[in-house]
Amino acid sequence: MISQGSEIRAKDGRAPDVFSRDGWVAMRQYREAEEVDVAVIGTGAGGGVVAAKLAEAGLSVVAFDAGAFYRPLADFASDEREQDKLYWTDDRISGGDDAIEMGSNNSGRAIGGSTVHFQMVALRFRPEWFQARSRLGYGRDWPVDWREMWRCYDEVEDALKIAGPVTYPWGPKRGRYPYRQHELNASAQVLARGAEAMGVDWSPCPISTVSAPRGKSPPCVYRGFCKIGCSTNAKQSILNTYIPRALAAGAEVRDLAMVGRIETGSDGRATGVHYHRDGEWRFQKARRVVVAGYSIETPRLLLNSSSPSHPQGLANAEGLVGTELMVHSNHAVWGVMEDEIRWYKGPPSMAVCEHWNYDDDKDFHGGYAFMSQGPLPTDFATSMVKNLGVFGMELRRRMALYNHMAGLKIVGEVMPTPANRVELSEETDALGLPLPRITFRFGENDRKLSDHALRFMRTMHEAAGARDIFETAGSAHLMGGCRMGFSAADGVVDGAGRAFSCPNLWIADGSVMPTGGGVNPSITIMANATRIAGHMIGAIARGEG
Amino acid sequence: MTSFAPPRERSPLAGAATALALAGLVGAGLWAARRPQPRPQPGSALPVETARQPAARRARQGGMLLAASAAIDGATEHYRGGFHRWEMYLGPAASIGALAASAMQAAMPRPLREGLLLTAAGVGLAGHAFHARNILDRPGGVCWSNLFYAAPIGAPGSVALAGLAGLAATMLERREPEMPHRRGRWIAIGTVAGLLGTTAEVALLHFRGAYHNPAMYIPVTLPPIAALTLGAAAARPSPTRLRLAHRMLGATAMMGLVGTAFHAWGVHRNMGGWRNWQQNLLVAPPLPAPPGFTGVALVGLAAIDLLEASE
Repeated sequence: MISQGSEIRAKDGRAPDVFSRDGWVAMRQYREAEEVDVAVIGTGAGGGVVAAKLAEAGLSVVAFDAGAFYRPLADFASDEREQDKLYWTDDRISGGDDAIEMGSNNSGRAIGGSTVHFQMVALRFRPEWFQARSRLGYGRDWPVDWREMWRCYDEVEDALKIAGPVTYPWGPKRGRYPYRQHELNASAQVLARGAEAMGVDWSPCPISTVSAPRGKSPPCVYRGFCKIGCSTNAKQSILNTYIPRALAAGAEVRDLAMVGRIETGSDGRATGVHYHRDGEWRFQKARRVVVAGYSIETPRLLLNSSSPSHPQGLANAEGLVGTELMVHSNHAVWGVMEDEIRWYKGPPSMAVCEHWNYDDDKDFHGGYAFMSQGPLPTDFATSMVKNLGVFGMELRRRMALYNHMAGLKIVGEVMPTPANRVELSEETDALGLPLPRITFRFGENDRKLSDHALRFMRTMHEAAGARDIFETAGSAHLMGGCRMGFSAADGVVDGAGRAFSCPNLWIADGSVMPTGGGVNPSITIMANATRIAGHMIGAIARGEG
Repeated sequence: MTSFAPPRERSPLAGAATALALAGLVGAGLWAARRPQPRPQPGSALPVETARQPAARRARQGGMLLAASAAIDGATEHYRGGFHRWEMYLGPAASIGALAASAMQAAMPRPLREGLLLTAAGVGLAGHAFHARNILDRPGGVCWSNLFYAAPIGAPGSVALAGLAGLAATMLERREPEMPHRRGRWIAIGTVAGLLGTTAEVALLHFRGAYHNPAMYIPVTLPPIAALTLGAAAARPSPTRLRLAHRMLGATAMMGLVGTAFHAWGVHRNMGGWRNWQQNLLVAPPLPAPPGFTGVALVGLAAIDLLEASE
């Protein structure tokens, strides 16, 4: 029977062995009254990395996650609806002119976070993006040296054994990816043919699924269910890389544990976290707190943690928490190919074109990457219903062409705008926590970017031989909401991830990203979390943390 | 339930198997090297004549191994490709022909044998052209993606080598008053080319596998060393050089057999392991490929026999 993710598994001194169908590994446990060195909230791309790094540095760590602790081999079905259990689909109030649809494209609710169902695309930021304001004239600068990020990318890529191309056409020279590129599926070859016809570079996409055995991970068998959770463990997610490391290093992971509030003392320092688990509210004492709940839940938690010393919400002295929320525009062109493509085979995005991330001769700020596509049937049908309004026989006719379809979809940079934000609403959820209210609208530059992308991809798709081309619009990923800044007036946290107005609080997820870049954010979040963990360990060793 | 040990990149069983295989390899190499070499005794038959027959036998055995390896590997890979072009039957068929010609030395008329072996050599060479076209037809042309995953450019070489090794054996079967060292040299040159070509193919494919197991470096280091020693021995034969080349070729031959065990381990490391053999025999490291090295090395040993006899 497939688990519905409702049973607490990490308890009684053991946690699920993610490489088995029903096995366990030992897990150290801490008493709630014991003041642990660090409480980490969230176990995804940010929190999972931080928990492992801190535990490996010898700190006592308890990591909390609202989601369940799955064993992919036993718990993941090849069924799109069953796997909806991996998304964060709690009630949220999403509004604005371009209200963000919350769910599969931008959230995760499991140990390992959204990396359990991410598309595995592992693209680095362009170095100039870390100084987008001063070097490219838009957005914000990161209080971070790109070379430091580059070293952290190296570390994360090795931890995930990223399978990437031997030579990458864009950006500064980089070391060799730990594993070799995968064989391109037919969908990726469409992009390659189109790029060659247009005279722009293309590349096999560096992705986080192994192309050769690694430990207990077999090489990818190209089932194509990556986006709803890999059931073979070939995908290198936080769940089967950093979480086992964290457990082995002595961290405790508490699954199905929703943190609702961070407690602060009269001196303004965080003292522990209130969390809901097994039907009751509980409290864990901690010397330090790292928040990694992503761009909606991190601001929500901070805003809900107001206290006499933090009357506007934790770390919100300047009112910046929740502001400058970003997504990626996720527009796409689709077309019918003469040949059978069977785009569901293999990881969905096996070829990439980053031309417009590195070419600055364009009429808009920011950039975009686009990748070949391979949506599963329900996903694709849903997208056609929403974007084209087709239904009945027309939908059936179009779905009959499924095996001949190919598509190109962008990850487009969206400008940070104060009005795009997360706030608390008056309504509360079943646990009594205020629901987040999300407001979003694409700006003028964002529309110029997606128009440019659609024009370019349509031409390329035609050049590759596609006919009956149509377009869809959408968004994916979340960034910002608790950005890093150079000063308290400029950001919620500093370049080391530490809150300006709460010295023992860190944020280490995608919410700290000051700009979104034109690439999928997961590996950047992991690299940044690696960096933040390094600074934390250094500060603690110096007695400054 | 495991303890607080850090997660392992490799299983202890894999480590043990690797160590065992390496120990076996080294042991077998030493054993082969210790075996006394047959030295022509004074007053015995013509030394050249005593060397000719074992040399012919070795070359024939090498050719048989190469042909069997090429036939099974080619048939498996082309089956995986659905035999979607009729030309894809030619490689395995020619290999089977070469295998029959080498195996049925006594039962088959010489012209037929030579015809089959020549055909294999020709089909192998043509195979390179077919595989090259497959690479060039794909987007990207000559690029890593296509070298890794399109038709493997080096693979048809094993069919050609099977044919050439068989032809060398038929040549040695003839009693001709030709100088043995000249024949030995030619066969040595062919062996060196075969070893280096096979190594190049292995290097490419093991690079594709990111050398995830350190043992994957062995077949890209040992054979070139063997080729080097054989080349040196053929250029200026001396007892020391010949002995060294003999040892290295012996080790290479053993390595080819042990390689199949490693590849069997590789099958186990794919999704479903050996239980899922129907799929994994197609996608995992090819079981029949490593003995190709054994085949080439045996031909090299034939060359050594001839060179020693002419010393």
